[in-house]
Amino acid sequence: MPADAVVVVGAGPAGLAAAVRLAEGGHQVRLIARGNGFTHWGAGAVDLLGRVRGERVERPLEAIGQLPADHPYRLVGEAAVRDGLDWFTRFAAAAGLAHAGDPERNRDQVTALGTMRPTCLLPAPAAGPFRSGRVAVVNFEGFRDFSPALCALGLRRAGVDAFPATAPLPSWNHERYFTAVELAQAIDDDGFRRRLAPGIARVAAGAEAVLVPAVLGVRRGHEPWADLERLVGASLVEAAIPPPSVPGLRLFTAYRARLDTLGVRWQFGFPAVGIERDGDRVTALRSEGASRVIVTRCRELVLATGGVAGHGIEANRDGTLAEVVAGLPVARFADRLGFLADRFLGEHPLGAAGVRVDAELRPLHASGEPVFANVRCVGGLLAGHDPTVEGSREGVALATAARAAELLAATPVS
Amino acid sequence: MNRRLLETDVVVVGGGVTGVAVLRDLALRGVDAVLVERFDLGTGTSGRWHGLLHSGARYAVRDQESARECIDENTILRRVAPHTIEDVGGLFVLLPGDDEGYAAQFVEGCRASGIATEELSAAAARRREPLLAPDVKLAFGVPDGGIDSWALLRSMAADAERRGCRVLVRHPVTGFERDGDRITAVRVHDLVAGEDRTIGCRWVVNAAGAWAGEIGRMAGVPIRMIAGKGVMVVMASRYVRGVVNACRKPADGDIIVPQHEVAILGTTSEQVQSPDDIAVPPAHVDRMVDMCAQMVPAIASGRVLRAFAGSRPLYQPESADGDGAAGGGDTRAVTRTFTVLDHADRDGLVNLLSIVGGKLTTCRQMAEKLVDRLAERMGVTEPCRTATEVLPGADHGPHRLAEPLARVEREAAYGELVCECELVTGGQVRAAVADGLSELEDLRRRLRLGYGPCQAAFCAWRAAGILAERPPEGSAEGSGEPEPLAGLERFLEERWRGQRATTWGDQARQALLNHAIYRGIFDLRGSGRPDEAAAANRPAVQPGEGDPTRRVGDELVGDSDGRTSSRAGDD
Repeated sequence: MPADAVVVVGAGPAGLAAAVRLAEGGHQVRLIARGNGFTHWGAGAVDLLGRVRGERVERPLEAIGQLPADHPYRLVGEAAVRDGLDWFTRFAAAAGLAHAGDPERNRDQVTALGTMRPTCLLPAPAAGPFRSGRVAVVNFEGFRDFSPALCALGLRRAGVDAFPATAPLPSWNHERYFTAVELAQAIDDDGFRRRLAPGIARVAAGAEAVLVPAVLGVRRGHEPWADLERLVGASLVEAAIPPPSVPGLRLFTAYRARLDTLGVRWQFGFPAVGIERDGDRVTALRSEGASRVIVTRCRELVLATGGVAGHGIEANRDGTLAEVVAGLPVARFADRLGFLADRFLGEHPLGAAGVRVDAELRPLHASGEPVFANVRCVGGLLAGHDPTVEGSREGVALATAARAAELLAATPVS
Repeated sequence: MNRRLLETDVVVVGGGVTGVAVLRDLALRGVDAVLVERFDLGTGTSGRWHGLLHSGARYAVRDQESARECIDENTILRRVAPHTIEDVGGLFVLLPGDDEGYAAQFVEGCRASGIATEELSAAAARRREPLLAPDVKLAFGVPDGGIDSWALLRSMAADAERRGCRVLVRHPVTGFERDGDRITAVRVHDLVAGEDRTIGCRWVVNAAGAWAGEIGRMAGVPIRMIAGKGVMVVMASRYVRGVVNACRKPADGDIIVPQHEVAILGTTSEQVQSPDDIAVPPAHVDRMVDMCAQMVPAIASGRVLRAFAGSRPLYQPESADGDGAAGGGDTRAVTRTFTVLDHADRDGLVNLLSIVGGKLTTCRQMAEKLVDRLAERMGVTEPCRTATEVLPGADHGPHRLAEPLARVEREAAYGELVCECELVTGGQVRAAVADGLSELEDLRRRLRLGYGPCQAAFCAWRAAGILAERPPEGSAEGSGEPEPLAGLERFLEERWRGQRATTWGDQARQALLNHAIYRGIFDLRGSGRPDEAAAANRPAVQPGEGDPTRRVGDELVGDSDGRTSSRAGDD
C-alpha cells in the first residue's frame, strides 16, 4: 500500500468533492466512509449562505463579510468560495446535472410544505419559475411523502395561485408500498414515463406550471425530468421533500462515477476509528473492516466526517465532545443541557460544534498551535458554523474542499 | 359572567384515575354526578408515572397494608380491565452487594401480604430475562404487570358517561359557594368558552390527588399534602420481557417497566414545594440510567428518548408529626395507602369528602371506600359493583403488544404507514380526523403518533398533510382554512419538551437530523408566538354549541395551557 496516498474520510458533500478534486489534481486518493452523508439527507440544492442572524440573505457573497472571523468562509476566503461553486457547477453539468444560479444572489427553493427556502444553486428540475400564473401541485397516487394539499396551502399563503391534485400511477410492481427512490427508479424508465405523463397532464389541466415531489428519475441525471416535461407539455418543478433526497442521490451517483473514472479506491460502510502517528504527522488511518481493523497508510489526511449529525463528533452525556477519528480537540459544554436550545426550531449550540482550524484547515490545539502538520478538516466537521441554521452546508463543503485541494496542490504528487 | 351551568347530586373534583373511578362508582350506584378537571383526563400524576401494575411486592417489607391493597386490586383489575393490562409478570433481582437478609424479609413480607413469589436461580432468572446482569445472584417472580392508565381512564369515563354522569374537562375549580356549614355550588372556569360558571350540588368529592390541598384551601379545610416528585426515564426499546425490580429497600433507579415499545426507568423520590414542579434535573436521569444498568447492563449504552416527572399524592396526617417542613427529603417513608377524609367530623363542613394518598393500582378500591362513606351519608343503599362489573373494551381481551403489527399485516397496510416507529397508518389518522380530531397532539394521544425513537421526524409532517386534506372549517371566506403549519410547529415544540435532559449520543444526532429536516429542508423557524398563546388560539368548541359536557369516551381532547400531557409513562 503506497505511503504517499491522500486519504479522505467521509463521503458527504465535502468528502466527495475533496476526493474528486484531489484526484483531478493528480493525487493518489483513497476514500473511506462509514456511510452516506448529507447528499442523501439534504434538500437537494447547494446552499451557500441563506441566513445571517436569522435574517434572510439575498446576496450571499457580500454577506460573508458579516460572519465572524473564525467562520469557515472567512478562513478560506471569497476566492475559495467562488472556486468551490464554479468547480461544482462545471462538474455537475458535465455529469448531466445542470444547476442554475450563481453565488452573487440567492434563489428560492420550494419545499413540500409550500415554504420557500433560500438557496444558491438549484438543480434544473427545481429551478423552473412557478410563482406567476396558476400552479398545479401534483402528487403521484400512493406516494406518502408528499401532500399536495399541504403544499398548496403553504403556496397560497405565499400568494401563489396553487391547487392540489393527484396523478394516477401506471401499473408497476410496487402498488402497495414504495419509497421516493423506488418511484424515481420507475420514472427512469422511458415506457413508464410515457404512461405516466397523460395522467399528470389531465389533473394539471389549466396550470402553467406543475409542482411535483423531487422524484423524477435518479440514475439518468436530469434526462427523465426533461423528457417528462416535454411529454406533459407544461413546466415541471421539483419540490424538496424529506430524506432520502433523490436529487442528492443523483449527485452521489455522479460523484461515484467520477471517482471510478479517476481511479479512486474507496471503501464504503467502514467507519474510521483511529490514526497512527509519527510526531506531528499522521502516518496511517485505522478503519473497521469486515473482521479486523484496516490500516491505510497516508501522506496527507483529509477529514470530512461531519459534525455531530454526521458522526464526526460524539456528544457525550457529561457535556464533553469527542472527535471520533483522530481525537482532535473540540470545545466542551459545561453540561449537556447546553447542547440544545429551549425551542426545537431555535438554534442549537450543538449544531455549530466542531473542530477549530487555521487558515490552512489544520486542526488546532486550544493554544492555537496545529495538532498535526498533515491533517486538513473540511465541511461539517469545522467549528464556527451551523449548516442548518445558516443554510451553508454545501457551500462550506465545496469551499473548504476547494481550499484543501489548493493547499495539497503544493505538496508532492506521486 | 357567572351563570349556572348544571345542577347535580355530586361534583367530583379531579380527572385522574381516582376521580374518574369515583365517578364510575357513583354512576354504577345510580347517583347523578359531574366530574370537573382543570386540564384533561390523566394530565396530572395519572399520566406521569411508570405504568406499573403493582403486585404489592414493592411494599411487602415496609408497608404491608399497601401491599395487601395492591395484590387485591391487581387481581380485580385483571378481571374488570384486562384490556388495559400488559400481563408480563415481574422479577425482584438480588445483585452482588444486596443484603440477603432483606431478601428473606421480602419473601416473608410477600407471604404475609398474600403475594405469590417464585424463587428463581440466577440461571432461571436469566432464561426469563436474557438481558439481566450476569452477576445476578437470585430472583423472585411476582405478579407485577404493566397498566395503561389512559386506556383505564377512557374506559371508566366512557362507562360513567354511558350511565348518565358527565365529565367536564378544561374546567378548573375556582372556588366554592357556601351556605353556613354546607357547600351549595362549585365555581369553575370554562377554559374553552372563557367563562366562569357554577355547578349547583349537594355533595362534593375532592379527588384532586397531589392538588387536594389546594382544593381544600378553596373550601376552607386544611389538608396537608406532601409533593413527592418522581423522575422517570423513557428508553427507546423494552429491554425486558417483564417488570424488573431491585430486591432491596426502595431507592432511586430500582425499577424497569416495559410499556408498549419502550421501557420506563423509575424513579426518584424527592419532596418539593409544589406538585406542579415537574422539572427534570439531568443528574437524576444519569442516576436512573446508571442504577438500572446494574440490573440490565445494556441500558448503559442504550438510547434515552425522554424523561419526565410526576408528583405523588402523598398525605401527611395531622397527628403524624409537628410541622413537616417542605423541601428536600426522601418521601419514600410516607405511607402509600390512602385515607378518606370526611370533613363533617373533621372540619365541620358537612358535605365535602376528600380522598388522599394511594396509587393507581388501588384507584378502584379508593373510590369504593370513599363512595361507601358518601352513600351512607346520602342514604344511597346500592352496593359497590366496580369489583365485578367489567369495563367497556374488556371484551377485546388482554392487551397484546404485537397488535399494531398484526393489524398492519391483516390490512396489508405497509404502504399506508404514517409513523413507522409506532405503526400508525394513514387510515387510522384519517379515521381520527373524521372523528373531529384536528390537532397533532390529539392524534398523538389517540394513536401514539410520534412516540418512537425518531420523535416525530417523519410522521409529524405526514400527519399534517392528512390534516390539510380536511375541508375548511366554516364557510366564511378566508377564515376557514386550517393552519397545519402552525399546528405542526406546536406539535414539534411539544415533543421537544422533556428531551433536553436526555439528549446525547445517538439521540443528539437524531435531534440535529430532525432539525435539519424541519428547519433546514422545510425552513420552519417557529411562528414567533409563545407556545401558550398559540395553544390558547386553538380552534375549539364554540360556546353554547350543543352539550356543554364534552365526550371523552374514546377521545382525549388537548389541554389548552401548553402543559405536556400524555399517556402513562411517556412524557
